Amino acid sequence: MTTHTPAIETAPSATRKEPSYLDVTKGFWSWAGTLDHKRIGIMYLVGVTAAFLCGGLLALLIRLHLWTPEGMLFENGVYNQVFTLHGVFMVFLFIIPAIPASIGNFVLPLMLGAPDVALPRLNLASFYLWLVGSILTVYSIITGAVDTGWTFYTPYSIETQTSVLSMGLAIFVLGFSSIFTGLNFIVTIHKMRARGQGWFKMPLFCWAIYATSVLQVLATPVLGVTVLLLAFEHIYNIGIFDPAYGGDPILFQHFFWFYSHPAVYIMILPAMGVISEVVSVHSRKPLFGYKLIAFSSISIAVISFLVWGHHMYTSGQSEFVMMAFSFLTMLVAIPTAIKVFSWVATIWGGSVALSAPMLYAISFIIIFTIGGLTGVFLGALSVDIHLHDTYFVVAHFHAVMMGSTALAFFAGIHHWWPKMFGVMYDERLAKISAVLILIGFNVTFLPQFKMGSLGMPRRYATYVEQFQIYHQVSTVGAMILGVGFALMLGYLLHSLVAGRRARANEWGGVTLDWHTPTPPNLYNFDDEPVMAGKLYDYTELDISPTGEATFKAHKSTATVGSKA
Amino acid sequence: MTLIAFQDPLGQLPTPASTFAEEVDPLFTFLTVISIFFFTLILVVLVYSAIRYRRRRPDQPPASQMTHNTTLEVVWTLIPTVILMVTFAWGLKGNLDQQIVPADARAYTVEAWKWAWAFHHPGDDPNNPQTAAEDLYCEIGVPVRITMTSRDVLHSLYIPAFRVKRDVVPGVRQILWFRPTELGTYDLFCAEYCGDGHSLMRRKVHVVDAETFAKKPWIDIPQTPEGRGEKWYTQAGCIACHSLTDQITVGPVFKGIWMRPGQLQSGESYVADADYIRNSIRNPASQLVAGRPNWVAGAMPQFTEAQLTDEQIDDLIAWMKTLK
Repeated sequence: MTTHTPAIETAPSATRKEPSYLDVTKGFWSWAGTLDHKRIGIMYLVGVTAAFLCGGLLALLIRLHLWTPEGMLFENGVYNQVFTLHGVFMVFLFIIPAIPASIGNFVLPLMLGAPDVALPRLNLASFYLWLVGSILTVYSIITGAVDTGWTFYTPYSIETQTSVLSMGLAIFVLGFSSIFTGLNFIVTIHKMRARGQGWFKMPLFCWAIYATSVLQVLATPVLGVTVLLLAFEHIYNIGIFDPAYGGDPILFQHFFWFYSHPAVYIMILPAMGVISEVVSVHSRKPLFGYKLIAFSSISIAVISFLVWGHHMYTSGQSEFVMMAFSFLTMLVAIPTAIKVFSWVATIWGGSVALSAPMLYAISFIIIFTIGGLTGVFLGALSVDIHLHDTYFVVAHFHAVMMGSTALAFFAGIHHWWPKMFGVMYDERLAKISAVLILIGFNVTFLPQFKMGSLGMPRRYATYVEQFQIYHQVSTVGAMILGVGFALMLGYLLHSLVAGRRARANEWGGVTLDWHTPTPPNLYNFDDEPVMAGKLYDYTELDISPTGEATFKAHKSTATVGSKA
Repeated sequence: MTLIAFQDPLGQLPTPASTFAEEVDPLFTFLTVISIFFFTLILVVLVYSAIRYRRRRPDQPPASQMTHNTTLEVVWTLIPTVILMVTFAWGLKGNLDQQIVPADARAYTVEAWKWAWAFHHPGDDPNNPQTAAEDLYCEIGVPVRITMTSRDVLHSLYIPAFRVKRDVVPGVRQILWFRPTELGTYDLFCAEYCGDGHSLMRRKVHVVDAETFAKKPWIDIPQTPEGRGEKWYTQAGCIACHSLTDQITVGPVFKGIWMRPGQLQSGESYVADADYIRNSIRNPASQLVAGRPNWVAGAMPQFTEAQLTDEQIDDLIAWMKTLK
């Protein structure tokens, strides 16, 4: 993280009283041992991006392999390891921590007007647990890899000779990293909001992070217990999951999805929070239906605990249980639909900047709508029986995880990049990459919906010839995605060394994070902020004809209190 | 044909061949139409707003300050709720029919293992591995009830044309039923990930008329040992891992296997003679080959006398001698 420093040094805000958090101390240990939520957020950002790149390369290998029906690249066993590692990297190392731990860490205290999170040491511990978990994952790959799929279904995961134990340990450790972050954010939101900032004066990103954190703290321990039981089963054959010893393999699925379904919302809720902020700022308009969006985050979090059985419609559950799970699954779709309509209504009648973050956000809304609508197919019992474990499911969850969560992550990165580093990327290239990614996503996954409907099962190293054309189109789409992401990585890194200086308030945001100097001070604000005005009140800004946004002195959200 | 066009006008699903398709396909079509409608609506409003209200000069204020509209919010909550409840009830009804097996259904059994299916048709002895068939035959219009068991890990029996799928769980008897409605040959897949040969657990379902069914086309045992050996090769699932070309799928290739020398993990050398082959089938863990990672070398399942008889192994060996 030293490459950007020259650009930063030339970019002090005219009014700033203290050095920025990037300049206040120097050297490796000032980062490795930092308690600053912003630096920890940046370290997470580097980490999860590396995980995303590894997972992405594996995805490209998968798509290349499937170019021909017999499989082009690997033996079947190696293919199974590749898709398992793709899943593990993307789910456990990237998507779950991506938004909360990187953007959340950086932005949440700023939005609350706080100098840091409530428990800075726990925050650093969470990062190092993530690092240990990642190293254990890499260790598992070197010592024989894993071929169970990211779901570790028993009894296959008990029988296989691959490194399930060390991978299980990795996931156990990563779970604690996730719990630490969640716990920290809950305490921070309860105790550290700015003076005058009531719960309903919190930006929606904070609500989303709050709902996510509750899920992380309540659901992740179940994953820990499940992985532990799997390890006991592996070593001692205690007979919980293995039918050979009187166990029940379906019980594992219940345990696994009791965590992993809420985990889906651990992934998507922060994404919804990011989109709410980006859409509001770049439309220069308060969010439409603020309270409804806030409550829908909370209701999604609650209902998400009660729908895990919809992953198991074909496993032989009782008809009554299936009925209950299907009904609750339909319920969870309602708050989701409300959010989409609210974002669109926010853009309607706004002053809509077609900036790079906004293009990512619009792409998110488009793909998330596809993901949400196809989810209804899978919630309907009789239709799901046909679609279960086919490429339709693969395409559906990629629309939600990759096309939505990952795109929201990138929307957020583009949105807060000038705040994080004080520099701007080449926005023209950023817009090209946003369009490439939107096109690439649809070329990759629309054929997968089609072939799934036609009956192409997932996790197949080889396939029947009738599906080849769909696989080939999908592979071409994946290459377009690859180009889009490579371009993004290029211009973002380039901006750190040669980007233009960011303006103090690059996009004209009005939440407290935009009241900090750019980049923020070590303790964020020059003076302790007090939230006197309304939330999302864009009339507080004076916008010059060149687009320079400044807060009106007499009418500011953050009336500056005397420094205690 | 008109019926098919009505059920699946967009041609998204495989050719329907069972009564369940009549339930599933119209709901699938309904959801597709609803999805296209809402997706188009959202896309049009989104793109229109983004262009119509785009910021033409940096200090342009928003055209509207509306942040709340109770009527609109109630409407866009209620409409999805109604559609979702209809979908729930429709899907539930179709699923209930899949759970209730008709009394006149013919009883089949299937055992799945890594990586093969052994179907026992009505009237066959389910304990005789020689009458097990790798393909499924059923008579048009007659309901089929399959009792499914697994020898090792999870599998899932999936016939896209019939819209049926059910996991096969070790230690549990699972039931699957359907009533085929169209003559023809259809794909049968394993849909639950089960390891290296997962994608090779694909077979065929043959829907035949009553006359053909009465001839028991699934019992077709060749006269020569070599011919029988070739049949057991597919039926017992050897085909999933042992290729007949130069390309390794999982295990050693069978092309030129007879008397081929090699080395075991213990350091001993061996030649693939009759004893070696027999022992590899009955007790594979005792002689893992060197040079392959453990997760591959240990993949060979053990076959007992009840799963593959001594005579069948003799047939296999006779056939292997012919593989040059």
